[in-house]
Amino acid sequence: MRLTRLRLLLPALLLVALVGVLSSCGGSDSGTSSEEESAGIPSEFKAPTAAPDNAQQGGTLVQLNEGDIDYMDPGAAYYQVTYSVTLATQRTLMGWPPDATQPVPDLAADQPEVTDGGKTVTFTIRDGIKFSPPVDREVTSEDVKYAIERSLLPGVPNGYTAAYLGDLEGFKEAEQAVAKNKTTAPDISGIETPDDKTLVLHLTRSSSTPVIQALSLPVSAPVPEEYAKKFDAESPSTYGEHVTFTGPYMVENNSSGELTGYTPGKEIDLVRNPNWDASSDYRPAYLDEIKIQEGFADPTSASQKILSGDSQISGDFPPSKTIVQEVATGNKYSTDQMVAVPSGGNRYIALNNTLPPFGPGKGLTAEQALNVRKAVIAGSDRTALRNTRGGELFGPVATHFIPPLIPGFEEAGGLEGPNLDFVQNPDGDAKLSASYMKKAGFKSGKCEGSICDITMVGDDAPPGKDTATVFQNQLEDMGFNVNFQPVAHDIMYTKFCSVPSNEPQVCPNVGWIKDFNDPQSILQVPFSGDSINPSNNSNWPQLDDPAINKAIDQAVTITDEQQRAETWGKIDDQIMAQAPAVPWVWDNDVLVRSEDVNGVANLFNGEWDLAYTSLTNP
Amino acid sequence: MLRYIVRRVLWGIALLFLVSAVIFLIFYVFPNADPAKLRAGRQANPALIEQIREQLGLSDPIWEQFLRYMTQVFTPFDWFGAAEHGGTGPLNFGRSFQSNTPVKEIILERLPATALLVAGAVVFWLLMGLPTGIISAVKRRTLLDRVTMVTSLAFISAPVFWLGLVALYLFASDVGVIHIFPGIGSYLDAETFWAKCWSLFLPWLVLAAATAAIYARYLRSSMIDVMSEDYIRTARAKGVAERNVIMRHGVRSAITPIVTLLGLDIGLLLAGNAILTESVFNIPGIGNEIVIAIRRSDLPVIQGIVLFGAFFIVTFNLIVDIAYAYLDPRVRYQ
Repeated sequence: MRLTRLRLLLPALLLVALVGVLSSCGGSDSGTSSEEESAGIPSEFKAPTAAPDNAQQGGTLVQLNEGDIDYMDPGAAYYQVTYSVTLATQRTLMGWPPDATQPVPDLAADQPEVTDGGKTVTFTIRDGIKFSPPVDREVTSEDVKYAIERSLLPGVPNGYTAAYLGDLEGFKEAEQAVAKNKTTAPDISGIETPDDKTLVLHLTRSSSTPVIQALSLPVSAPVPEEYAKKFDAESPSTYGEHVTFTGPYMVENNSSGELTGYTPGKEIDLVRNPNWDASSDYRPAYLDEIKIQEGFADPTSASQKILSGDSQISGDFPPSKTIVQEVATGNKYSTDQMVAVPSGGNRYIALNNTLPPFGPGKGLTAEQALNVRKAVIAGSDRTALRNTRGGELFGPVATHFIPPLIPGFEEAGGLEGPNLDFVQNPDGDAKLSASYMKKAGFKSGKCEGSICDITMVGDDAPPGKDTATVFQNQLEDMGFNVNFQPVAHDIMYTKFCSVPSNEPQVCPNVGWIKDFNDPQSILQVPFSGDSINPSNNSNWPQLDDPAINKAIDQAVTITDEQQRAETWGKIDDQIMAQAPAVPWVWDNDVLVRSEDVNGVANLFNGEWDLAYTSLTNP
Repeated sequence: MLRYIVRRVLWGIALLFLVSAVIFLIFYVFPNADPAKLRAGRQANPALIEQIREQLGLSDPIWEQFLRYMTQVFTPFDWFGAAEHGGTGPLNFGRSFQSNTPVKEIILERLPATALLVAGAVVFWLLMGLPTGIISAVKRRTLLDRVTMVTSLAFISAPVFWLGLVALYLFASDVGVIHIFPGIGSYLDAETFWAKCWSLFLPWLVLAAATAAIYARYLRSSMIDVMSEDYIRTARAKGVAERNVIMRHGVRSAITPIVTLLGLDIGLLLAGNAILTESVFNIPGIGNEIVIAIRRSDLPVIQGIVLFGAFFIVTFNLIVDIAYAYLDPRVRYQ
């Protein structure tokens, strides 16, 4: 072959080799753990979840973010990226060391005592944990009680207290009290503090398992009432501008407690908390300072800055496909500067089960609509959808909804999925799709008639728009006539997909991420008919199957771990059998770091753990 | 002149009212995300969303919200529930729906970065654009003239974000091929004034490039017209040195359209038009903030920045018009 031709072909050959490298990963390999296998992560991109033995103290780390955290107020924080900050600055009753798959006692001295058949949970507060300046006193059980109660205030917009702690005795009464007085935290009678070190939770049913899990979220970070009350009296609460901290780090503040180290949308400056006692904590906290810089809108240049620079890590953005390929070749950057972590989330395309052709109506029965949904899943090339996110490293093709590492995943079928023919072929099966369409009454094997004129509202920016466009083409191949309306992400949710009365037939850019490592947090809100709400709905398919609803309601109260996993696994399969949505990926978070950073990733939120990460030369 | 200035100021205030009304209309008529739902977060129940909507004053009629806002910006009175929703004024632009930070604080926090970016860019584009325009006009139809005009066309055509990315990939000290200038995000790391200036060197050049090119072309065209005027011929006939003919007589007359442009450009950039440069280089300025605010349907921030921007545009236009009176003796205001 002539040299000039070889030169022309070389880039193509390299690309093929690269594809070969990347595609050979994710299969079984000696030395690859089952966790990485199930999340499709090659061993060379496995994220360290422990600090090296020779980790050193000191130095300043810079984390680059595209956007901001949602709230600095732990009572309102409900976002994986915010958890990077709260994991380093707040001590919640239960916590998440980087490699933990179940929460461990943090502010609590020990695992809680569960009695009364799972209806009473008792925590003992650890000694020696103090609030940061200017509060400067030891934490008591009253501080945790106040933290939970204040989360009911509308000025502290918490999205999960009602969902997971709503079984507390007196919770409904507390909600009614807040409706009358919106600036005073109500008393929840089911939370008792018999002494400074004891917190007792009384539940109306045996839902202790999700309650204990939920108390690993920032809502249980203690809040001193005497300090916070005046801020909570404002509407909305201004405690977020005056937060006090119990973890190894704090946001820089002034003598009156006002946070000077946080400028929303610009930067967060974390410094050491002078009142933190290392002997009481599992966190090593190697770094002296952590600066979180925001506003990096272009992931390619931001990733390059991190990879070429010093003492930097990525925050809330994945590297672009270009960067992933560049790092994977190992030519310019070391391959271990990029890692992948299972996020504990899924992505799926919601088919509106209440509107034809995906729901009954216009001459279509419920059975026929179910067959249409099965046809769509069967005919979808879910691998192509997954590749719009960046390829195999970004997660395996999903076959059901519970993601890897969450109990119930294997019980629901693992990577292979449930024994349902329409979900077996990730690349799509046109013949099977056609057979389901025929069962639905479309004799040609494709959707026909005006019933197949559907509207899809999706993201107007990549990669969401790419996913929606690919799916649009797939639907059109199945005979649908798709009117795709791209809108801004927030508009997509708040005006269309999360408003049942305004929801189109297809919402292609939805998904759910765990709240904690329990399958209830993955399945209950997105698929229980009881959680459909008229204005901020997250059950996007609007699945409302009485049998599934009942199964979910009963599964909440199971306390035995293995039984929980089995039961929720079966529920996942039941949901999948109804074909409410097209699951297409179990997300991995892909992170990058500078070469001089010993990055440690936390499996709980899929981000770098700031309290465990260190510098090689501080 | 004084009456002219007073009349212009009053028109300016009326314009600010009109701009605010238009923004309100756009926000409520065109589809946007629901700020109460965004603030409530995911999984929030309808009761919480409604409580937040009430808290933010969004459940009041639009006309009441608008008048409350105008009251807070221009007056110290507690009309239309001003005290209950964000406090009384004047110059109270409310609080961000998302972060609850006072909008005035957000703008004042972000303004220095934009102001420094614009100031430096202005210096560069004047230093590059004016001499180029003058020389091109004087050396019309020479090789130098053609090269400068083609180059200026290239810079005008190149999108600023593309130019910014190319500049980074070529010259940034972290990701560039040749490590000369500070790279993306370096403004955030800079602590002293001079460090900030150095971090903005590449953004200055990028932002100045297209504008310098436009100014060069404008000035060239204007100079060509002016240099063919009778008084220029008279000056030459009287033996005035060519340099003085060009600079004192030619440029002085030709520069008036440039002054207009300058006022408009500075006003627009301070109002947030430097968004692309700010985004590419991650400069935490006004442009960056308004994009975030639009995405989050954060009306108080949008409103506040637009009003500030309108204020700058009105002010700089007034300065330009006053400057005319000194530059061009034929202009007199009554």
